Amino acid sequence: MKFYQIIVLVISAVMLTQGIARLVVNFSSQSFLKIVTRLIVWCGMIVIAFFPALTDVIAHFVGLEGNINAVILIGFLLIFLIIFRLMSIIERIEKDITILVQKDTLRNDNSTK
Amino acid sequence: MENIVAQIDNNDVYVVIPARNEATVIGDVIAGIKKAGFENIIIIDDGSSDKTLEAAKNAGAMALRHRINRGKGAAVKTGLVAAQIKNAKIVVTMDGDGQHDPNDIQAVIAPIISHQADVVLGTRLFDSKNISVYKVFANKTANILTRLLTGLWVADSQSGFRAFDAKALDVMAHVGDKYEYDSEIIRQIARNRLKYTEVPIRVYYTDYSKGKAHKQGIVNGCKTLCRLVWNIIS
Repeated sequence: MKFYQIIVLVISAVMLTQGIARLVVNFSSQSFLKIVTRLIVWCGMIVIAFFPALTDVIAHFVGLEGNINAVILIGFLLIFLIIFRLMSIIERIEKDITILVQKDTLRNDNSTK
Repeated sequence: MENIVAQIDNNDVYVVIPARNEATVIGDVIAGIKKAGFENIIIIDDGSSDKTLEAAKNAGAMALRHRINRGKGAAVKTGLVAAQIKNAKIVVTMDGDGQHDPNDIQAVIAPIISHQADVVLGTRLFDSKNISVYKVFANKTANILTRLLTGLWVADSQSGFRAFDAKALDVMAHVGDKYEYDSEIIRQIARNRLKYTEVPIRVYYTDYSKGKAHKQGIVNGCKTLCRLVWNIIS
């Protein structure tokens, strides 16, 4: 097993475990569609990492002559991971702000007490 | 069935209206709703820079204010919670720019009163000459995308004129904050297997309502689509 395969496997395993754990505990934000999407994306990463020859088929299909470089694959993986994480954080902060504003609005209104 | 109808009168119905910079028309909107027989009106001023809050209060509505703009969905959710606190049995949501006809409220709440639906979706009839081809196209596109993302086909996924019973109110606390709220409502209906029906409503697009800068344009529509997709995959 090569180093980049280990990295991809570890990251994918963490993401998959997180998703499945949320589904098991019936986390309100985790729908069936989300977990299916997560499975497709991260299982796809593992498959490509361990069977890079499959990318030849893709490369041939899109018209590229060579194989996809492992470094580029990992680079994309990290970038997606960072963007995914950042957007999740931003979304959580946005939701928190909304909840604060809503509570503030209802608290300041005497007619709803 | 008659007993059920007798248990709910107009005092149990709350009309929730999200409003942002609607000071010039909100008074007329409130007056129209009262004239239609509904006194319980909750206006959520979503961080307006004009006198929307004061205009709503002067017109006799319960007016709440978001200190900062949080989007249409967030404003509606605040209104729904306020209505729940008031023990509302039915909540109707309408737009604040006067495009909806308050005389349609009775028809929109009728399926809930008769226990035929938990949610009623007001469906705009796109047959008026005042409605642009662009708006019709945008609405059809939104309907198709909503169908793909939620699994439900509805005739007007972006209508702001809806009615909810108490069961549906609990569910709608999980919808999005911005304009994706409209499609998120449909997703929550599908996800929670709520009974829903569609009722035709009249709509009046005035120069004022068409001129609102924050309404859904192409750019905002794309942003809304991105948020919808993100909400599903994140």
